[in-house]
Amino acid sequence: MIADITDKIPQSHSDGSKSNCQIKLRKRRIEVIIKYLVPFVTLVSLMTLGLPFIRIDLGTKSVELSAVMVLIANIRVSLEYLLVFPLLLRFLIIASSVLLLAAGVTSFVLKKHVLASAFSISAMLFQIIASIFSSEISKSLVSNGIGRPEVSMRYGWVLFLILTVILSLSILAQEGLEKAAEQVFKFTALISVGIVVTMTVYMFAYGTPAIAEIGLSEFLFGQEWRPTAGEPKFGILHMILATLFGCVGAIAIGVPVGLFTAVFLAEVAPKRIGDIIRPAVDLLAGIPSVIYGFIGMKILVPFLREIGVKLGFNTTGSGLAAVIIVLAVMILPTIVRVTETTLRSVPRSYTEAALALGNTKISTIFSVQIPAARSGILAGVILGVGRAIGETMAVIMVAGNIVKFPTLFSSVRPMTAGIAFEMGYAEAGLHRQSLFGIGLVLFVFIMIVNISFSYISKKGGFTGEN
Amino acid sequence: MKIKKKDVVLTIMIWSCAVMTLMILSGIIGYILINGLPHMSLSFLTSGYSAVKGGSKGVLPMIINTLYIVIISLILAVPLCLCGAIYMTQYARQGRIVHAIRFATEVLSGIPSIIFGLFGYAVFVVLFQLKLSILSGSLTMMICILPIIMRTTEESLLSVPSMYKEAGLALGAGKLRVTMGIVLPNALPGILTGIILAMGRIVGETAALLFTVGVSGNFFPKGDNILDATFGHVFEQGNTLALHLYNSAMNGKDPVSVPFATAAVLILLIFILNRLADLIYRRLNRFGGK
Repeated sequence: MIADITDKIPQSHSDGSKSNCQIKLRKRRIEVIIKYLVPFVTLVSLMTLGLPFIRIDLGTKSVELSAVMVLIANIRVSLEYLLVFPLLLRFLIIASSVLLLAAGVTSFVLKKHVLASAFSISAMLFQIIASIFSSEISKSLVSNGIGRPEVSMRYGWVLFLILTVILSLSILAQEGLEKAAEQVFKFTALISVGIVVTMTVYMFAYGTPAIAEIGLSEFLFGQEWRPTAGEPKFGILHMILATLFGCVGAIAIGVPVGLFTAVFLAEVAPKRIGDIIRPAVDLLAGIPSVIYGFIGMKILVPFLREIGVKLGFNTTGSGLAAVIIVLAVMILPTIVRVTETTLRSVPRSYTEAALALGNTKISTIFSVQIPAARSGILAGVILGVGRAIGETMAVIMVAGNIVKFPTLFSSVRPMTAGIAFEMGYAEAGLHRQSLFGIGLVLFVFIMIVNISFSYISKKGGFTGEN
Repeated sequence: MKIKKKDVVLTIMIWSCAVMTLMILSGIIGYILINGLPHMSLSFLTSGYSAVKGGSKGVLPMIINTLYIVIISLILAVPLCLCGAIYMTQYARQGRIVHAIRFATEVLSGIPSIIFGLFGYAVFVVLFQLKLSILSGSLTMMICILPIIMRTTEESLLSVPSMYKEAGLALGAGKLRVTMGIVLPNALPGILTGIILAMGRIVGETAALLFTVGVSGNFFPKGDNILDATFGHVFEQGNTLALHLYNSAMNGKDPVSVPFATAAVLILLIFILNRLADLIYRRLNRFGGK
């Protein structure tokens, strides 16, 4: 092939610019090598499927299975045991291998080398599929009582590493350092998108089976949560309510305090005092949530117990009230920071106009600056809602962890606490799956909060305008 | 006259809220330090831990594990974030890809750590079969700190004056060279600040590690080779400081001095990291940033 091309190169340059021609020749050679090398590497990485990736010890002898073997036929491990693997899995592997191969070859024909290498890299996917596959195999082996299988994918990963190195070198040779670097930067920047997409997919993939089995309305609005009972019930309404009540209460306390503190920092504070409080707010944001929980446990809960008993409640002190107070403190820094930034970005002319009309400084702040900054403040509040909904460790330590209808002094279990508390002892099966179901509900809540945050912060505020 | 009365009330409220914020912070720190510092002896910091009553209650294993997770997740996350931020600030043109990346980092920074924990459990622990281990915890933490480092890096890269870049380009340097040789070194203090903030996050993180790192790894490392014994357990469980605080506060088997002293260690660490970030940002960042 290389000789072919050498012949095609015009000979006319040979007299004057021989060196130029040689460079061209070398370039063509490299191109040809890459053109054949990359599909070759792609094929090899596909062949990693053929490497043995599961080994079964049967006491005296051990059997090594390759994925291809598994694909082609059911396997007779010994006389008694025939392993049958789901058709869907086989189809998944074959279909994705064919698709990736086709995509890689097509992009080479279209001379999109970078795209082609991306497809080759996604041959790594096979390792993941293979690992799903092998865990499926191990499960069926263990349940058949054959023996403990040992899964090894070492070769596959090494091959993937080599593949990446070869590909990056080939792109480098093909596109030059500048372009190759740009592609690498782009690829890494896209990783965060990839993570979010993967996360969404996984949360749904792990969360929906339980919800489907229990029934959506039964799961969301069921009032009983008895996952370990003989006749288990999985209704998370009380957990959802506890989360919502805690969040609303925290906002009701945290937002006014945060707003006033932000006004103080942005407008009122003498410089020296502002310089003390601003780092304090930052530090407050940096304190780990376990410490908030621990302090809530040690100070807040006994305090609330005293008050509750005085008011005539039968209470241990831990419960919704404690959750609300801890969360209010925890969302304070978020709200202060965002509000302060927005207040500072209100155009000077607004305030000056209001002052010139004879308003006092304070009434200018409250009748001009805060209304002008309202969308930014709203964005801060939404951020605080997100934090309050998702907070786990501080909540679990003061909530009391009993699933029932949340009232101010009763023990509650918000969704996050439910997940963290029960993951420790949940048996594999519907109980654990239902925890992922709670995770999915939480994830949907957070996504709604996130999306509305980015919508509002895009729409409002003065950032970037002046 | 009426307006003035309202003004006075509002001013008082503003001042009292600001004072309250300050008091909450000083209350938290003061309470932990007063109760914790007396128990934070040298032997507490340099001895192992055993769960039995009356056993040694030191936190050295947890300190080592925390260090371990901090280092591994930073090694994984920093190059990714650097390259990503360089693309976003130096190469990308406004378009769909940039919007997608920005939205993704925004979403990531809003996702609560318990969801990261569930995801890490499903993917790293179960799917990749890394078991409950320091490695799966570090991988989970890598995702957690990605948006933090990415945002601060982006900001500090943007704060480098374009004059610098233009001068480099005018001298005939390529874009990559200008980025690596001029923009990146000048943005280094801002990037360092971001990394230190991320360290603070990792040190204090609990929910994401609860079911990825495991809680039983509080043995004191044993082995022939001291280096191997101390740092050779990436694939094993590892209790971190924050997890240890949670466990010893909740199970009630340890004397109450243990969680207090652990909390004091944590608070001091966070305080030092916070000050360090501030110092670097103020002293070294010539361009002020955003």
